[in-house]
Amino acid sequence: METENINNMKGKKNGLIIPGIFVFVFFVYYTVMIMLSPLKMVEEFREQFSYKQSEKNKVDERIFSDSSYLKLYKEKAWLQSKIAMAETDSIYLTINLPDSTVNLEISGVIVHSANIKRQIISKILKNGDEYIISSLLARPFTISNNYSSIPKMPLMIKMAPKDTSEYKPDIIPDTADYEPVNYVMEMENGIVILVYQEEKLNPGDRLHLFGFDLKYRLRNILNAMKSILTFKVPEYHPFIKLRLPRTDSKIIYRALPEHGQIAVYR
Amino acid sequence: MENELLPEERLQPAEKNETGSDGLNKNKDAGTGEKSFFQRLSENKELMVTFHRVFLWLISLLAVISIFVYFIYIIPLLQEIPSPRKGILTNSAELKKEASYKKLISQLNRDVQRFSRKYNGYTTGQSYLVINTTDNIFHLYRNKKQIREGHCSTGSFKMLKTEEGRSWIFKTPKGKFWIQGKITNPPWRRPDWAYVEEGLPIPSQDDASRYEYGVLGDYAMALGDGYLIHGTIYKRFLGMPVTHGCVRLNDEDLKAIFNTLSIGSKVYIF
Repeated sequence: METENINNMKGKKNGLIIPGIFVFVFFVYYTVMIMLSPLKMVEEFREQFSYKQSEKNKVDERIFSDSSYLKLYKEKAWLQSKIAMAETDSIYLTINLPDSTVNLEISGVIVHSANIKRQIISKILKNGDEYIISSLLARPFTISNNYSSIPKMPLMIKMAPKDTSEYKPDIIPDTADYEPVNYVMEMENGIVILVYQEEKLNPGDRLHLFGFDLKYRLRNILNAMKSILTFKVPEYHPFIKLRLPRTDSKIIYRALPEHGQIAVYR
Repeated sequence: MENELLPEERLQPAEKNETGSDGLNKNKDAGTGEKSFFQRLSENKELMVTFHRVFLWLISLLAVISIFVYFIYIIPLLQEIPSPRKGILTNSAELKKEASYKKLISQLNRDVQRFSRKYNGYTTGQSYLVINTTDNIFHLYRNKKQIREGHCSTGSFKMLKTEEGRSWIFKTPKGKFWIQGKITNPPWRRPDWAYVEEGLPIPSQDDASRYEYGVLGDYAMALGDGYLIHGTIYKRFLGMPVTHGCVRLNDEDLKAIFNTLSIGSKVYIF
């Protein structure tokens, strides 16, 4: 009996060790693939935005490490991006990271300004090649998807009364809504802009933000898993995380069109 | 069963000691009591199995939480580790002397100045109005300076639906508009939704009952598509989203805006 028990125990241990090894190998594989994803993105940016030498317009490579040239090039890219958006009649957003300001603009006119309270930027965008990143920012980003804790349009449906006896005058709207304002805007070029409200108005807000952030992270993991299980390096999304006052966050989110445009200066 | 009775038996002499024996004996007995408690625990197989199970459950729970934290929080941090090499700025002195460099820099400078002029030119010195529909606030500008601000009322975002399938959304349009017309003592021509909303029968389009006087204030400015900037008799609702799409102002603000803006003046609504 005792030897049978010992054999059973050994069998159980072996049964645990083998799946354990698989899980460990998957962890390592997942981690390696995930860590490769930013490098893949850097390569993609390099291919798309690095200067293409041609016989006609040959440029001395040293110019791309010249601070005066890069400063002017960055300035030009920022203006180019803003002008491209100003030419449209749409509402757009400009994010000036060194100045910590965001502006809502319509046709080049600033209609609303807000201060960024805190900002975190992906290393790719922060430390990437100055020329490549400036070239990337020379074109406005277009929003492809929005994920938000508040609706874009706070629509309320009201059925028309059949006659005057059913008619009830409108109740004064409740303007004291304390719904936390957090949203994620995914751009067509893969960059993600996350806007979280600065204030913690009530204890539930922290939990709300945690839940919102968790949902978004889980979605990203699912997408990464899909790629990894098909032996592909998952997509990396360089991010810009901003903390803004709640009222400003709300104004910006409600004002920007579903597929609005954004220019970034860093 | 014998084992279970043992501690009780051992406790009895300890109780007796309280009356007659010295402290040394007391300590000894207490020591024997503790030992017997742990012994009792280790000898209770059911209890040990339960402990073992709870321990395994805790370990498993900890492992699941660790995996969860690893995937959700650690992995995104790891992604930020392989940082791209920051370009080294050489600022070659030789390069700066070259004619091609000087040409390129002056070209860039010209571009920046040209773009800058173009961009600054978008904001003219003419008067314009900015309306914030989220906070229901307006800002009036002249010569690039704000000259007045105050509360207004904009669209309520209500969707009125009828059983017949007709629907209206009461929202203020956003974007760039301009003043297309200025009217004093404007009458209000009640649209269909005004009747539907109150459950009234809809009169014909040119019916005289559609016209109401005095409800839009002293002035109105047309923005196109039937949207107006006008006054209101419901002043207590200013600062709230209550309108059917028009912009409502109080009498003083309306007069100031009416006198400042001319036909063609820009109105930016966001």
